[in-house]
Amino acid sequence: MLGLVAICLLYGTEAQGQSYAITNAKIVTVSGATIDKGTIVIRNGLIDAVGANLTPPADAQVFDATGLTVYPGFIDTLTSLGLPSAPVRPQGPGGGGGGAAAAAAAAALQPASNSNYPAGLRPEDAAFNEVRAGESQFEAVRNAGITTVLTIGRTGIFNGQSTVINLAGDSVSGMVVKPQFAEHISFATLPGQYPVSLMGTFSALRQMFYDAQRLQDMQKAYAANPKGMRRPDADRSLEALFPAINRQMPVVFNANTEIEIVRALDLIKEFKLNGVIAGGQESWKVADRLKAQDVAVLLSLNFPKRTTASSPEADPESMQTLRLRADTPKGAGKLAAAGVKFAFQSGGATAVGDYFTNAGKAVEGGLNRDAAIRAMTLGAAEILGVSDRTGSIETGKIANLAIVKGDLFGKEKFVPQIIVDGKVFEQKEAPKPTSGRPDSGGQGGTPPNAGSANVGGMYSINIDVPGSPISGTLNFTQAGSALTGTMITQAGTAPIRDGRVTATGFSFAATVPYGGASLEITVQGSVSGNQVSGTIDTPQGAVPFSGTKNP
Amino acid sequence: MKKITAYFVLLILLVGSFSVVVSAQSNNDVLIKNASVLTAARGTLENTDILIQNGKITRIGKGITAPAGARVIDATGKFVTPGIIDAHSHSMLDAINEGSFSVTSMVRTRDMLNPTDIEIYRALAGGVTGALLLHGSANSIGGQSTTVKFKWGHPVEDYPIADAPPGIKFAMGENVRQTTFSPPPGTPLRYPRTRQGVIETMRDAFIRARDYKQAWDDFKSGKTKVQPRTDLELKPIVEILEGKRLVHAHGYRADEHLNLMLLADEFGFRVATLQHGLETYKIAPEIAKRGTGASIFTDFWGFKLESYDAIPYTAYILWKNGVNVSINSDDGGRMRRLNLDAAKVQKYGGVPEQDALQMITLNPAKQLGIDKRTGSIEVGKDGDVVIWNAHPFSVYSRVDTTIIEGVTYFDRAVDAKMRMDVAKERETLEKLDINKAPGTGGGPPSRPAERRRGDRDDADNGDGGNN
Repeated sequence: MLGLVAICLLYGTEAQGQSYAITNAKIVTVSGATIDKGTIVIRNGLIDAVGANLTPPADAQVFDATGLTVYPGFIDTLTSLGLPSAPVRPQGPGGGGGGAAAAAAAAALQPASNSNYPAGLRPEDAAFNEVRAGESQFEAVRNAGITTVLTIGRTGIFNGQSTVINLAGDSVSGMVVKPQFAEHISFATLPGQYPVSLMGTFSALRQMFYDAQRLQDMQKAYAANPKGMRRPDADRSLEALFPAINRQMPVVFNANTEIEIVRALDLIKEFKLNGVIAGGQESWKVADRLKAQDVAVLLSLNFPKRTTASSPEADPESMQTLRLRADTPKGAGKLAAAGVKFAFQSGGATAVGDYFTNAGKAVEGGLNRDAAIRAMTLGAAEILGVSDRTGSIETGKIANLAIVKGDLFGKEKFVPQIIVDGKVFEQKEAPKPTSGRPDSGGQGGTPPNAGSANVGGMYSINIDVPGSPISGTLNFTQAGSALTGTMITQAGTAPIRDGRVTATGFSFAATVPYGGASLEITVQGSVSGNQVSGTIDTPQGAVPFSGTKNP
Repeated sequence: MKKITAYFVLLILLVGSFSVVVSAQSNNDVLIKNASVLTAARGTLENTDILIQNGKITRIGKGITAPAGARVIDATGKFVTPGIIDAHSHSMLDAINEGSFSVTSMVRTRDMLNPTDIEIYRALAGGVTGALLLHGSANSIGGQSTTVKFKWGHPVEDYPIADAPPGIKFAMGENVRQTTFSPPPGTPLRYPRTRQGVIETMRDAFIRARDYKQAWDDFKSGKTKVQPRTDLELKPIVEILEGKRLVHAHGYRADEHLNLMLLADEFGFRVATLQHGLETYKIAPEIAKRGTGASIFTDFWGFKLESYDAIPYTAYILWKNGVNVSINSDDGGRMRRLNLDAAKVQKYGGVPEQDALQMITLNPAKQLGIDKRTGSIEVGKDGDVVIWNAHPFSVYSRVDTTIIEGVTYFDRAVDAKMRMDVAKERETLEKLDINKAPGTGGGPPSRPAERRRGDRDDADNGDGGNN
């Protein structure tokens, strides 16, 4: 899809020792006043100098940014970038009905571990250990202007510990900005074992926090005088909670509805945690409590939108749904007015462009424009605990910069250069399909709309519904750019509608059974080799999916 | 001149009639005038006023003058009862059963309260002001219960009654044995699978709790040095042994309920209520002797094998034997018609009116340990009252107003206005671009997804919501 907008050219230039200068740019420093026309000098991956009347050093490679605006590299405060997607679950016999097969599959999904706790209740799982380098995963996000992300998986009750990475580098060791930011918790359940209900989840969390507290006390006592005392356990699951209960590490709760946020705030209070809310769709409704407890919000920009087509037989949508869509973009402004700390995040599943256009909707909804930019840069860095090194354009900070053409929040926004850790990534604007003859772009990129991909066949996919991933199968029959077929999940089979083959993949709509009701969805996917990935838009929000083509 | 006079008369009439319904209220004080008051404690008082100040009933009598700022409600020709209390509900819970283990005393319904559940508002429209929110019946020892007042519109922390004694759900029979549904193939069977296994599971839990209490007592007395673990499973069971936590025990068969009471005798505590108890009529003296309560359906049975040996005279027989009886709903729909279930108790056996009314007011309040503050219309109690347009035991009766601690949470006239306001708001919202169907520029919106209740156990769904 991005191919329609831009042809991406990777330069990845890193001139060791040599400096790089951006001149004649409007510089939004965020930490200080905006410079209408100025220069930024970069050396050794850091911002060497910034100012209005600055002459680039003699050795500098100069980029004339006349008419462009330079922002600190944007930060997405909740993603799963760089993490391997959950393996595709094999189908049980007869389309996935077999409990034993499902249990076996679930067992196969359990990472090898000698923890006393089942997968999903292992706070020691660390994104830092799982994240992988590799340009292709980061390119699309980086091209939008995002240089830094918080990344963490979304499975289990304890998602594990998140890590802050810069979106460039050949090695994980070089990319990591902060190895461990926070412990992340989802109000999820475990398949087939305690806790199988949301109610049990809270008790399981409480028991682990109590046990961690006691283990820490006993280990201290033992370290002071081991004689005559039974040796306390070396339990790394509980030990991983020590920083959380000692308030040395924030605890992020994934919570969207008002009641979920209230439940998280209650736990934060009960265990005196340094709590953070992620998602926060209805956080504006509890702004006073968030402020009183000094709890920050990683606010999702995955705003709910209507994806269902009109149907004459359909019942009216619920007031709750109608209100939610209208209220959500106004939430950020209300949080700001109440003095709640917040930073934006993409909500995991939206097209990367939504991060910016929906931030613009938050501005339309009452958020001060500067506050919006801050929530994507320095404000985000502050919450992630990295504002001493990134988040603003200041001398000595990491050279993470986004050079933007056009309105940051507009549909026409383009980012000709993104600088990550001093590495310069350049992209050239693609010709607009409507502007007549395509301009070749000079570097042999594939022209947009060059033709339809070949997407027919069968795909095994894993749909990353937060807390309870679903596996499924897509069966496509392609005829030109038209697509027909079925989507099969554990819940049943649904025929696809409005199936189309796009430049990079496919799109279709379907009515699928889910949780005893039917759900209207639209699906956008891209196919690369035998890999498939994309987004499913539902009335409750968008969820990502990924998988492989079956031979 | 004549025209103007007529206009003024009309205006006075309008303003006047309006002020009777809702006169300017500057505090939560309410004066209900001239009602037939079914006190549920001291009989029925005709043409009587009730004054509620600062949430409490301060005066009951005739010709009471409204204090400044009080709201005055003219209830001439209407009936007032205490707010109904439902001693068995699963409304406003986002999860009901933690079906993994057979002992899940560590889980709390308090964590699952959802104050946006529309069943709360509907319960208010049926005159229900308070309820015992119970864990489901999947486990021998289920989760901790929550005793709430339905303060619709308030934040969740306002719902639990702070001084209500804590409770816990026990369960016996088919749901616990997991014989009423087929688990997915490959799922290992859970112990216990028999009725004797259920009682053994309970006894084992009490023995473990006794040991746990001993470990803490030894630590507190200095006998041991290392602080024992805080065990969220055993702590509430210790509270049962200490008489601090009320046991509400789901069951149908008399032998099982009797067995549980014998187990309680053995461990030295009193079972607070036998829930459902379709066969409790067989053991009424045994129940009465122990001071245990019974919280039952009036005439609902036959929904599974263990629920056949039932009669509609159970409430009467228990009452006759001196058992504290309450009539519960276990269902969001039945909850709003509990007045009619109490009326049926008069029909089957002829329980007197006040005693029948007590079965949905004062008796459940006693069973839940909240009768000092609610359950009857008496001076000093909370102002939890319901105004009915007819006698509440009539099928023609309807709730006009439901008041908790002096605050109106349901009012039929306000509800009618609210419906119009919501219709207007819907019109505005549906016109917004964000709510229009993609591509088409609008059209009838889609079907809303039903609220998921996936975590109720299958047994419960299969037997008519009989949690």
